[in-house]
Amino acid sequence: MVMRQKRKLGSLLLAALLLLATLLTACGGTKEKETAGDNPAAGGSDSEAVTLKMLLIGGKPVDYDEVFGKLNEILKEKINTTVEAEFLDWSDWTQKYPLKFAASEDFDIVYTANWAYYNDQALKGGFLELTEDMLKEHAPKTFEALPQTAWDQAKVNGKLYMVPQNSQEVIDKVVLIRQDLVDKYKLDPVTDPATYAEYVKAVPANEKGVSGFGAKPADGWKWHELDDVLLEQQNQWSVINTGIPLAYSLDDESGKVFNVYDTPEFRELLSYYKDLADNGGWSKNIVNNKNDVWQDMKAGKVASYAQNLGTVAFNVAEARRDTPQYDMMFVDLTPDKYKTSAISTQNGLAIHATSKHAERALELIDLLQNDREIHDLTMYGIADKHYKPIGDDRYEPGPSAANYTGFSNWGWNSLLNRTDTSYPKEADDMLASWQDKVHHSALETFVFDDTNVKNQVASIGNVMLRYAIPLEYGLIQDLDKGQADLIKQLQAAGLDKVQTEMQTQIDAFLAAQN
Amino acid sequence: MLLMLAPAVLFFLLFAYVPMAGIVLAFKQFNYDGGVFGSPWNGLDNFKFFFDSGDAWRVTRNTALYNIAFIVVNNVLQIFAAILLFEAAGKWFRKIAQTIMFLPYFISWVVVGAIAYNLFNFDVGTINMLRQGLGMEPVDIYNTSAYWPFILVAVSAWKTLGYGMVMYLAAITGIDTEMYEAAEIDGANIFQRIWKITLPNLMPTVIILVLLAIGNIFRGDFGMFYNMVGNNGLLFASTDVIDTFVFRSLTTSNEIGMSAAAGFYQSVLGFATIMFANYAVRKYDKDRALF
Repeated sequence: MVMRQKRKLGSLLLAALLLLATLLTACGGTKEKETAGDNPAAGGSDSEAVTLKMLLIGGKPVDYDEVFGKLNEILKEKINTTVEAEFLDWSDWTQKYPLKFAASEDFDIVYTANWAYYNDQALKGGFLELTEDMLKEHAPKTFEALPQTAWDQAKVNGKLYMVPQNSQEVIDKVVLIRQDLVDKYKLDPVTDPATYAEYVKAVPANEKGVSGFGAKPADGWKWHELDDVLLEQQNQWSVINTGIPLAYSLDDESGKVFNVYDTPEFRELLSYYKDLADNGGWSKNIVNNKNDVWQDMKAGKVASYAQNLGTVAFNVAEARRDTPQYDMMFVDLTPDKYKTSAISTQNGLAIHATSKHAERALELIDLLQNDREIHDLTMYGIADKHYKPIGDDRYEPGPSAANYTGFSNWGWNSLLNRTDTSYPKEADDMLASWQDKVHHSALETFVFDDTNVKNQVASIGNVMLRYAIPLEYGLIQDLDKGQADLIKQLQAAGLDKVQTEMQTQIDAFLAAQN
Repeated sequence: MLLMLAPAVLFFLLFAYVPMAGIVLAFKQFNYDGGVFGSPWNGLDNFKFFFDSGDAWRVTRNTALYNIAFIVVNNVLQIFAAILLFEAAGKWFRKIAQTIMFLPYFISWVVVGAIAYNLFNFDVGTINMLRQGLGMEPVDIYNTSAYWPFILVAVSAWKTLGYGMVMYLAAITGIDTEMYEAAEIDGANIFQRIWKITLPNLMPTVIILVLLAIGNIFRGDFGMFYNMVGNNGLLFASTDVIDTFVFRSLTTSNEIGMSAAAGFYQSVLGFATIMFANYAVRKYDKDRALF
């Protein structure tokens, strides 16, 4: 009996070991196969039917099945391809996006942007490098249409990983306010930081249950959401990497970086914020807020927020349609300052490094950007349902417009884009007035490679979340002490080392340009 | 008999032993090309971030202290509730009480986090509404880290009470009723019976459950801490545990090697603790040790 049991135990262990070995080799095997799949030549011609998986940011539109169903009919005919899109919702895309790469999930095309991990993933090898030959062969129209500077701007360490959008954008941020409240309480017109502060304080004082300003902080974003306007634009600085509090002044040709927290301007801004916070300008629990700020504004719970002009202009158009009782308007708080032109990587599409259908993916991108029918369909939905085309360059939202919107189809913005007839004229005017103030800095395409200092960068990110966010949202009483703590903690986290590293890279970058 | 063991063996092989190979990531500079096994080695670099950050001690201490508090408070309450139900109640009351206490166990932490937000919110939270109704000053719970150790321990106790209680109730039911009858004839009152019969007979169950829990003492309950606290920096001093710290570091800097290193660190500490605890139990009573 004992003998038999022992034998049984032995064979069981043996079986387990075998299983273990198989599993381990299986893992290794897949990996090798995948690497082999990197070879773009494996794509083959259009004779083979292919399904491309596409990763986009934003909520899945209600009418996705209908629109993409139609898209697939067209694509099947044109390049024998179908597309399946996966959507990473706005609420947690910052967490899911990098994990998609880390887990090496199976997808071919992915939305990317300078604000959506482009440099990060490019440096880590998440994207397939796109050579000029590949583009010429498989995305010839895009290669023609997009100016050379746009391609150059998308290069990371001299290599291209993205097909950028083809569109001129100015990305300065403005604030969206409720003009009806300004009128109701006879406030001074909001034009600059001081009048804006009056507005943000007056709203909660007069309207019960309405916050003057709303934001969704601490979802990984490490700045006060007014910092773009009041710190960067106001002082004409540029922060190089939003995960590190180092900036250079746009006027400084030598590109010398400094710690933004260790400046009198930042200290002054802290007092400004504290004043707003103490006067109920925003909820005391703002760092735990889980709501979408724009929805809160539409619901009348929040009276202003900061975003780039393009976004708030659409907000205004939407508000005029859905909530006409609120007279929403955007205001440039820094009208006299430099404006920064978006570099091409503001939106774009990249190909996953392990995609087995890189060629087909490029063909698809080429169609998305340059085929009128496909571009219209993917950008605006189905004609007469989601939009009404007007001429060649304008459209009106259709009855179901709300069912096909809200995700990053801007990845293939191109010259075929139409303008919404309801797009506020004020936004076009503002954009036009900005054009002669656009400032081009030699460093605008500089990309910081943090390989040598990643330990420090990780710690700095934690320090910003832990010390800077509460300080900026006025949750810490003693500002001087709070600022001193923040700077001390940053130094302990190794900011000096990062600064030295960044300066070295900048100097080399500038030297190479001249 | 061995065949019956097979599913469990298979389970642990697949979900505990095979993934262990992933430990190598802690010593690698992970990149997508190389993957888990092909990426270049980088020695102890991944551990540097954790220890150089100056947060290692704080988050380790927080994790251990929270788990000790959870183990002590939860077990005491669970045993107390189990004895109470066993001694005091009729069948119907017992069943209903059991079900009600068990319910929170099934509520997801995400939902608990939302409930907490609606309770503790400064402007419109239930607690502050009540306080204002009674003419008291509102309290700013989300910006005061001192409250949070108590809140978290209380929430954990609330959520696990029913589950643990059922286990202890089962153990109590298993105690030989002849002992109680004999004690009753000898004139022992109810407290003496609990103290001299129920508790000593529960000890083996308590020891096993606590020993199992101690192995995880350096693992924070991520779902709980993240959903209750979120990324609220003001509360980190008293609520940051290893798991939330590592999560933030991974998602913002997106370095897999580093989080693997932190996980490895947790495992080593957990291994050391359970070996020590088991050794201590062996010393005290050989039969009650796990191994």
